[in-house]
Amino acid sequence: MSAPAVLAKHLSRSFGATRALVDVSFEVRGGTVCALLGRNGAGKTTAVRILTTLLRADGGSALVDGFDVSTQAHQVRTRIGVTGQSATMDELLTGSENLETIGRFCHLGAGAARRRADELLRQFDLLNAGNRLVKRYSGGMRRRLDLAASLIAEPNMLFLDEPTTGLDPVSRGEMWAYIRGLVSAGTTVLLTTQYLDEADRLADTIVVIDRGLVVARGTPEQLKSSIGRPFLRVTLPDASGAATDQVRQLLGDEAEVQGRSVSAPAADGLTTLSEVVGQLRRLGIATHEVGLELPSLDEVFSSVTDHSAGPEPSPTPVGGEA
Amino acid sequence: MSQPSLPTRSRLGGGVRDAYTATRRFLIRGRRQPDVIFGSVLIPVIFVVLFGYVFGSSISIPGGNYRAYLMPGLFAMSILFNSNNVAVAVATDMSEGVVDRFRTLPIARSAIGVGRSVSSLLLGVPVLMVMILCGLAVGWRVEDGLGNAVLAFLLFELFGFAIGWLGILVGLLAGSAQAADVIISIPTFLLGFISSVFVDPSKMPTWLRLIAYWNPMSAVVTAGRQLFGNTIGPPPSGVWSLDHPIVTTVGLALLIVLIVVPICVRLYSRSTR
Ligand SMILES: Nc1ncnc2c1ncn2[C@@H]1O[C@H](COP(=O)(O)OP(=O)(O)OP(=O)(O)O)[C@@H](O)[C@H]1O
Ligand SMILES: [Mg+2]
Repeated sequence: MSAPAVLAKHLSRSFGATRALVDVSFEVRGGTVCALLGRNGAGKTTAVRILTTLLRADGGSALVDGFDVSTQAHQVRTRIGVTGQSATMDELLTGSENLETIGRFCHLGAGAARRRADELLRQFDLLNAGNRLVKRYSGGMRRRLDLAASLIAEPNMLFLDEPTTGLDPVSRGEMWAYIRGLVSAGTTVLLTTQYLDEADRLADTIVVIDRGLVVARGTPEQLKSSIGRPFLRVTLPDASGAATDQVRQLLGDEAEVQGRSVSAPAADGLTTLSEVVGQLRRLGIATHEVGLELPSLDEVFSSVTDHSAGPEPSPTPVGGEA
Repeated sequence: MSQPSLPTRSRLGGGVRDAYTATRRFLIRGRRQPDVIFGSVLIPVIFVVLFGYVFGSSISIPGGNYRAYLMPGLFAMSILFNSNNVAVAVATDMSEGVVDRFRTLPIARSAIGVGRSVSSLLLGVPVLMVMILCGLAVGWRVEDGLGNAVLAFLLFELFGFAIGWLGILVGLLAGSAQAADVIISIPTFLLGFISSVFVDPSKMPTWLRLIAYWNPMSAVVTAGRQLFGNTIGPPPSGVWSLDHPIVTTVGLALLIVLIVVPICVRLYSRSTR
């Protein structure tokens, strides 16, 4: 298991004057989940479309399972499953007809395609809707059907472009469970998301893209720790002066008071927390809550994609087109 | 899990199977669009009434019954209109995500186009049946044997297959269904009306007459009239394509197929936009 499942090198792609991808390189190890994280228009979909043979890159190269996406598209297509950002199911076909058609296109044969369709409908809780036209499906049902469609040939490499956008919290949790199940069965997943908690929960590695460039990468923990230290927060029952002063002294020079809570960086994390709790008890200070706050990916995200520092993303002209 | 054994068939076999799957999909879709079916049956019927009786009562064709002259023209028109439907349907398909899904599957590059064109021919058959019944009802007859009549319809279908691919091409190039509709309606209209489909071009002004004579639709319709034995009508035009209408139609159809099919196949599988 040495060759990565996905290897993208210096991918670039422009649409007229819009530089959707400027220079994006990353790799995904087999059997892991990689999340491409970025704001609207960051270039996530463009990257996924290039890797799934739907779009040609202007520059750079990409291998999926060792095959070049531009010169060996057919081999790549036999190995991947794709759920795009927008629905790809035929509205005038039923759920099961859609899946069956795709099964036949994956050369399962008529009988096997039919059985696989039923199996997936059951797995995705769509068995009762199997004979209904897709145009009568709800958004969540469509999303599930689309995911089911990408699993028909049991690919070991799955691309999911914003798999949970538009889903309610329950359906989203279910989608996460499906994805985790696939990963534990050995599937490699590249997903895109705008949700940090999603990347945090699902991904082994995160690649943050902004304006067509990779601005950060690493495990969720690496990203969090690279950006800041944990904070300790002590919340008192009320904002009375005496106790607040005591706590502030206890927490040191960097302590900050906000209403009835006092917070300070906790360099040693849990050790600092237990020391502080011990001292609070010894001093007899009643507290409402004491807690350690890890920096969230939100902070990572806003610090690496901070647009206030530079000009707004504006189309950078390329080439000689006017 | 029972992993299906990978097919080791020839590329041709795989291509035929994929084309069959695609055709099947388009036929299911076609059945679910009663409005389109209704429209494509209704328009030719309206034409029979409109041209057979409304205009027809003041159109005279030398030596006979105008409606017998008209019907082969209307058969050809219904085939021409079919390519309009194809263009709109292809453009609609392209603007939805379905084609993206197909392009990530390991299918033969020609499958979607072939499926589209074969299914549209099949869906056109019932329309043609209705037209034939209408024709028989208004006095059109097969006058040169059933064998030749069958040949005539096969010729029409061949022509329909070819211009169906032109419809696919327009659908692939147009940005939207509306655009496809506009782009293909204009040539359809001109091809249909500046020809010998409805009238005898010999009375047109010279420049228009030349266009009408050389119009491929005139050749197709003339071929049909010959094979049906509906040989009433205008005197010989002296134009090569009308003197050899069957050869012209077959040649033209093959030419269109040879040029347009590879372009469409490329466009369908293009890593695009
Ligand atoms: N077909 C296209 N034609 C023109 N511009 C395009 C096209 N596709 C993408 N773009 C532009 O490229 C940039 C990146 O788009 P992309 O869809 O990759 O973003 P994204 O990260 O997926 O965003 P979102 O979160 O909104 O889905 C955007 O500025 C977009 O407008
Ligand atoms: Mg996107």
